[in-house]
Amino acid sequence: MPAEDMGKLSDKLRMTFAVSTVVCVLVLAISPLKDFLAEWKHYKRTYVKFAQGRTDTKRLLADYSPSIEQVWLPAMNVTDRCTTCHQGITQTSLADAAVPQPFRAHPPVPHNVRDWGCSICHRGQGPATELSEAHETTLAWEQPILPAHFLQSSCGSCHRDDLKETPQLMRGRELLSRLNCQGCHKLNYVEKPKLGPDLSSVGYKVTREWIYKWLKEPRTVLDKDGNTTVNGYESGEESRMPKFRLTEEELKALSAFLSMQKAKPVTPYKINPAVVAAWSKQQPDLSSQGEVLFRQMMCTTCHPLAVTRAGETKLIGGNIGPELTKVGSKVNEQWLIAWLREPQDYLAHADMPRYGWTDEDLYKVSQYVLNRLADSDLLTNVPQLGNATEEEIKTGKRLFLDKGCTSCHSISGIPPQKDFGPDLTALGKKNASELEFGKSKINRNLVSYIQAKLQDPVSVNPAARMPQYTWNQADLDAVTTALLSQTGDASTSALQHLLVEKKEATFRLVGAFAQVFQRYKCFACHRFNGYGGTLAPDLSYEGSRAQKKWIADFLKNPQTIRPTLILRMPQFNMTGKETSILAEYLSLAVQKPGVDPESVDARQLTSTMAAKGRELYEVKYQCQSCHTIGATGGYVGPNLNNAGNWLTPAWVDAWLRNPQALQPDSIEPRRNFTDEEVHELTAYLMTLRVGIKPQGTKSPANGKPSSQGAGR
Amino acid sequence: MKKNLCKALLLLNVLPCIPVMSGCKKQAPVVNPDVAFGAYDMEPDWNDATKQVKLGYRESQGRRVFYIYCVWCHADATPAGPSNRSNLTPIAPLMNDGEKLNGESDEYLQNIITLGGSALGKSEMMPPYGKTLSAEEIKDVIAFTRAIAQPAYQKPGRPGPPYGTK
Repeated sequence: MPAEDMGKLSDKLRMTFAVSTVVCVLVLAISPLKDFLAEWKHYKRTYVKFAQGRTDTKRLLADYSPSIEQVWLPAMNVTDRCTTCHQGITQTSLADAAVPQPFRAHPPVPHNVRDWGCSICHRGQGPATELSEAHETTLAWEQPILPAHFLQSSCGSCHRDDLKETPQLMRGRELLSRLNCQGCHKLNYVEKPKLGPDLSSVGYKVTREWIYKWLKEPRTVLDKDGNTTVNGYESGEESRMPKFRLTEEELKALSAFLSMQKAKPVTPYKINPAVVAAWSKQQPDLSSQGEVLFRQMMCTTCHPLAVTRAGETKLIGGNIGPELTKVGSKVNEQWLIAWLREPQDYLAHADMPRYGWTDEDLYKVSQYVLNRLADSDLLTNVPQLGNATEEEIKTGKRLFLDKGCTSCHSISGIPPQKDFGPDLTALGKKNASELEFGKSKINRNLVSYIQAKLQDPVSVNPAARMPQYTWNQADLDAVTTALLSQTGDASTSALQHLLVEKKEATFRLVGAFAQVFQRYKCFACHRFNGYGGTLAPDLSYEGSRAQKKWIADFLKNPQTIRPTLILRMPQFNMTGKETSILAEYLSLAVQKPGVDPESVDARQLTSTMAAKGRELYEVKYQCQSCHTIGATGGYVGPNLNNAGNWLTPAWVDAWLRNPQALQPDSIEPRRNFTDEEVHELTAYLMTLRVGIKPQGTKSPANGKPSSQGAGR
Repeated sequence: MKKNLCKALLLLNVLPCIPVMSGCKKQAPVVNPDVAFGAYDMEPDWNDATKQVKLGYRESQGRRVFYIYCVWCHADATPAGPSNRSNLTPIAPLMNDGEKLNGESDEYLQNIITLGGSALGKSEMMPPYGKTLSAEEIKDVIAFTRAIAQPAYQKPGRPGPPYGTK
């Protein structure tokens, strides 16, 4: 190669080299530039500008740092950089909704950000420094932020006890228990469920046709407007029997198998036809008389029933027993009469109390149920099934096991299957990649998955064995919340030391009291020291509250004059001996510690004091806004017409000083009464007596937020 | 010889660019944080059940307290059925009555709930809740009242609509 060419080539090379160096420098500059343009730095700068535009700039910028900030709590496995962008999170002056995000202050909650971090409640990716990675699911960061509507599930990860601030979570846990989800699934911190009825003798109760119909179309369904309906009537109730997707052959086989379950024959109870004829002769329409009795006995306190009022038919009644609108077309007369007399003979775990029936009342009520609570069209679309064949029964038994029926229903001789469905105790912390979405078009995240699975199990997994439940939106969200709170076994969690455990209720039944108590199933509605139902007043301190004689009289003839209450205690027809056993035991053994029955001497309450008390009641404190005396007053609190016979003076005294000390969920506000005023008001209330049968209700309605609230 | 050296030098220049460039990617779309979080809860508009009012944490705690303590006298329908409102003289205002309540300051409402009506020269039928509810709970109830107010509540002197009416 000639020498001059060497130089030329060298120039070209130099040029190339120069250009590539410039390119290299430029490319190297990308990194610091990218860093300068990082999303979080943008929020840092915007915050400074935002703060400078306000009058409280100095306070807002007092802790400002231009770098990444983080809350690091190694003991709880928290590394949260959220405060890098959410810089005003602890500034109370930024609480207003008009403050733009991400600078708005956090609403005041019991756990502050410095001590708890953010992701413990909100989930998402704490260490991420980009908005999309912190809040959403990306390939590398799988845990999205929890939508605010389901935030209460995070409370449930640590709080296993009932937390009044989280109504949605508590409702969800209640539903998981009521629907017996634990029959198939393993779940944590959900109360032990009540099982579905034992079916060992169901063949004596219903026909094969009815079973066919029931399995094909359980009574609770969604109507076309998306409302839950029971037997065609709108209802807020959850369905207990779900719908299984059964083929015609499966329906025939299962109904055949179940209709042959006749383990224990019904003991027939015959009422002499001649006697019945005599009743009919006096007043021919026995069913109508039965209806009056049915209403008087307040059966609807436990059993919902379709009632038409002002042209609108609605289900009215409690949720302890099954809905009865069409039960007359379901059961036969012999079974019904035996059941009404001795429910536990048929179903040992039944909550139905044993009433003290007279033959006449028993017969009339049964006629009402069979004739009026019936629907002749109920079984119209059911084919004639005839006698069950050997083959059908065999297939039916196999289906009974395959479909997981044993998870809720027992049949003598068939052992229950364990762990029928998947373990759900760690469902709440699953990543989207661990879930099967099948061909469904829902969003790929856990919340959407749970909701789709609950609404239609087949939509995400065509081979799902889970039956179809009926939900209204609020219940669906509540159950989703409760399921999201199932975040794994406590012993492996970094939060183990924080768990707030559920307190176990203790209430021991002894002696004759226990027998009466069990016979009338008091626990089904009443609560004692945290154990029992919540439909009726908590009776943990009934002995301190009510006078013994009043309790006995009330049990003989339970009455309420609270006009707003639809439900009240049923008429049990207790004997005098039973009422005195209950009254004796309750007044002695069920006391509030600290309320001394001797603390107020009734003899020292003079009529002068009572007169002053009356003035305090009517003028100074205007208690009539909530309580009724005579015929006037409000009906928020109990009617006080018979307070003198009903309440003990010691209880009234203690109640006036601090209602919440006696009953924490009482809605009566605590007042600033002086000692003198307390004595005068007590004296006045103790003069209020009704000579006739006792009247009065227990505690004021401990108003739980209800789905039938105002404006709904 | 020299050509090879050039190639090596070029490669040396280009190599460090690769890791730098590899970090480049499309910027993720920025989502509105309010949308990402959603509403903590909802309350149907009392005057129009087809509309839902969005509630934040504060307002929804206020709703819980309202439906336990206040609903009996400050709404026309209650969880137990009929309302106690008509038994009162003077009749208590509905909790969503913006015409009556929007004009009152937060401090005034806080006081009347804490101390009762008579302490502020109003009806004794409004009892004091200062010893039963915490100050926070009372603030929550006021926040709930503001959220459901009809006509909508505007915070005095601050721009922008409240969260609840969005």
